[in-house]
Amino acid sequence: MIIKGGVVYDPANGVLGEEMDICIDAGAVAEAAGGPTIDARGMLVLPGGVDAHSHIAGPKLNAGRIMRPDDGRIGTEPRRGLCRPCTGYTVPNSSAIGYRYARMGYTTVFEAATPIIESRHTHEELEAIPILDKGALTLFGSNWTVMECVGEKDLPKLSAYVAWGLRASRGYGVKIVNPGGGEAWGFGSNVKGLHDPVPEFNVTPAEIIHELARANERLCLPHSIHLHFNNLGKPGNYSTAIETLDLLKDIVPSRDRQAVHVTHMQFSAYGGTGWRDFESKAPEIADYYNKNDHATMDMGQIIFGSATTMTADGPLEYANARLLHQKWSNHDIELEESSGVVPLVYIRGSPVNAVQWAIGLELALLTEDPWKVLLTTDNPNGGPFVKYPEVIALLMSHKRREEEMAKLPELLSKRSVIGSIERELGWGEIAVMTRAAPAHVLGLKEKGHLGVGADGDVSIYEIDPREVDPGSDPALVERAFTQAKYTIKAGEVVSRDGEIAGIPQGRTFWTDANVPEEDMARLMASLKEKFEKYYSIQMSNYMVQEAYLSRPVAVRAGVEVAQ
Amino acid sequence: MRTITLRPLASHLVPIEAEGLTPDGLAKLSIEEMEALDLWLGNRRTRLCELFAIEVDGKPAPIEETTVILDGDFSRVKRIGERMSGGMIQSLGDLGMHAGAGMSGGNILIKGSAGDWLGREMRGGSIEVEGDAGNYVGSGYRGERCGMRGGSILVRGNAGVFLGEHICGGSIHVSGNAGDYPGAANGGGTISIGGDTHLPGAEMTKGSISVGGRTTVLPGFQFQDEVELEGLTYQRYVGDLVENGKGELLLALAQQSA
Ligand SMILES: [Zn+2]
Repeated sequence: MIIKGGVVYDPANGVLGEEMDICIDAGAVAEAAGGPTIDARGMLVLPGGVDAHSHIAGPKLNAGRIMRPDDGRIGTEPRRGLCRPCTGYTVPNSSAIGYRYARMGYTTVFEAATPIIESRHTHEELEAIPILDKGALTLFGSNWTVMECVGEKDLPKLSAYVAWGLRASRGYGVKIVNPGGGEAWGFGSNVKGLHDPVPEFNVTPAEIIHELARANERLCLPHSIHLHFNNLGKPGNYSTAIETLDLLKDIVPSRDRQAVHVTHMQFSAYGGTGWRDFESKAPEIADYYNKNDHATMDMGQIIFGSATTMTADGPLEYANARLLHQKWSNHDIELEESSGVVPLVYIRGSPVNAVQWAIGLELALLTEDPWKVLLTTDNPNGGPFVKYPEVIALLMSHKRREEEMAKLPELLSKRSVIGSIERELGWGEIAVMTRAAPAHVLGLKEKGHLGVGADGDVSIYEIDPREVDPGSDPALVERAFTQAKYTIKAGEVVSRDGEIAGIPQGRTFWTDANVPEEDMARLMASLKEKFEKYYSIQMSNYMVQEAYLSRPVAVRAGVEVAQ
Repeated sequence: MRTITLRPLASHLVPIEAEGLTPDGLAKLSIEEMEALDLWLGNRRTRLCELFAIEVDGKPAPIEETTVILDGDFSRVKRIGERMSGGMIQSLGDLGMHAGAGMSGGNILIKGSAGDWLGREMRGGSIEVEGDAGNYVGSGYRGERCGMRGGSILVRGNAGVFLGEHICGGSIHVSGNAGDYPGAANGGGTISIGGDTHLPGAEMTKGSISVGGRTTVLPGFQFQDEVELEGLTYQRYVGDLVENGKGELLLALAQQSA
């Protein structure tokens, strides 16, 4: 396939708005190719979109679907053409997730949280999502074995467990959610700060985070630790954020990437002592990021309207349910995690929601380097992923932000600085935040760019970046990004003008990390005891078998790789 | 004025989905356009003229001056009058599920009986049923936190269970009996039941429910006083205290001696 004459933005390769041809041969970008030609003259050509943090599969998605039949009705689309029937808006069915991402020009999406014990289900759902390449991040932050290893200060054994847990869950990377808090929630409490010990385990959240980061680098994993901070969602929590980031300054990345990725930073950039004096601390966080290079973040932008929050942060969801008088699903995940699901609505009239809206945008606009900030809504916690084009328009247009601010409470100007930010992101910066940076942050070398050898994933938008000024025409930008003219996955057109044109089965990335045999042997002895004493299932039934992944891609890592 | 009369050409056991059959949807259409309207018979897409004989009296007219008459058995036809904003629908016989769902204005008169979910999530207008109504009259559909928000529903016969569940506004009157749990999670609507019912007002926070016949009071309600309303004496309760509710439950005294 040859994509002819488009205006290409490929920031990873230094291409910013050049008119050029892209050739795809055997599913990958090549020097030359035959086959069909796509006329992309006057159109924006980008690498396929990459979402490094989204909730698209697993039991918590199903909990959301079950408790929100109202949401199911919002997005109903009958069976049509190649497409199966679709339902849902914030918690769509698996088919809809694939089609809707593809229509927007996204080709790779990572599920951000799966407990090991529930990963079989997660993979069954990932397999049911058409078109997209996928991966899942495995939860380790409140895991008994992790906390034991941290308590014993046994880094080799911890590394062995991380490697084994990634294999058992066919997971891609290390996700840490409110470390220790998930275990404390089993006793009806939470950890209050980085140095607050976890009940029954003589470790603190700070130790869990730091040691998992060391294990992550000892194993030379493609992705860094992926961290949901303690105290997330609470006023005043920005100090926890900065304290945690400081804690990780001594971590030396084993690969060319960050030492820590902080997810949905919006929920962790809060000032104030309560909801009454709640305010944005995004400028402080952005300032920290401008002065330090060991961390990246994703926005966790909120979208006004319906959302469904779902997280392994069990105590947070209890607080949400109580505060908002909402439906609540609570889940205890054996020796590994807690979790919860609560639907909610972000309202323009609410000063708290307005400030949250501002914080997400401030983080992206005040952090100078777009490689450090990924565009996400923490789908569907801040809002559904189908609203990414709205976020893009807000980032590219000061005018668009002012129009939105006019609908928000006046208090916003006292509690945030969003009104004073003139910066408008350009096409290249958007391409970084939605393509190049998420791929780099995840360590996916063949994603997020269009260099020779890259995956043949391309999105083409019917908008000419040489002619449209996004600052004054944000509606055109939003419309173009909502529906790609073409989405191409591994050299195959999968979506054209919003019509799904192909439904290939995507691949699933997981990380296969080797550790020395004696470390694994020591780990197995203590794991065996846990399965005999505590787990509801046997060790032999625990691991996700190879058969569950129809197109697995094992990324090699491990102690040997690191040496 | 414009009157459109529909008569079923055959009787169907498979339900028909007919959300387009409203004064809003038909007022401006020519008879040819009406004939071509999409309907679903089960999972099969079909056209209005294949299921119904259409008789039109009068030229295209404003919605408010349009009357749709349903002559025959429409008990398997669902969603008639959905989201209507004005005009009139008269059903000479029974009408199927979801009639008047989400309607904001106009009138629906049902001479027979109505199916389940009558006037669910309606916002305005009025519905009158001369026979009985099914379950979940004026309630919110599955997962919805707010049911009927405005308008009125009158049922001259009996109503089924969960009458006005999640009702947030408007009023429902049932002359006969109502099934279990009327006004569950009432958030601000008015419900009156002439006859008997069981366990009214569970988890209600606002609004009022009155019962003329016999009933049982949930333990979450606290007795306040006795009040006179339209010549009858009522016991007044407040609840549901399980939800810190400030709803009002009125029980006609004469019936409560048993
Ligand atoms: Zn998340």
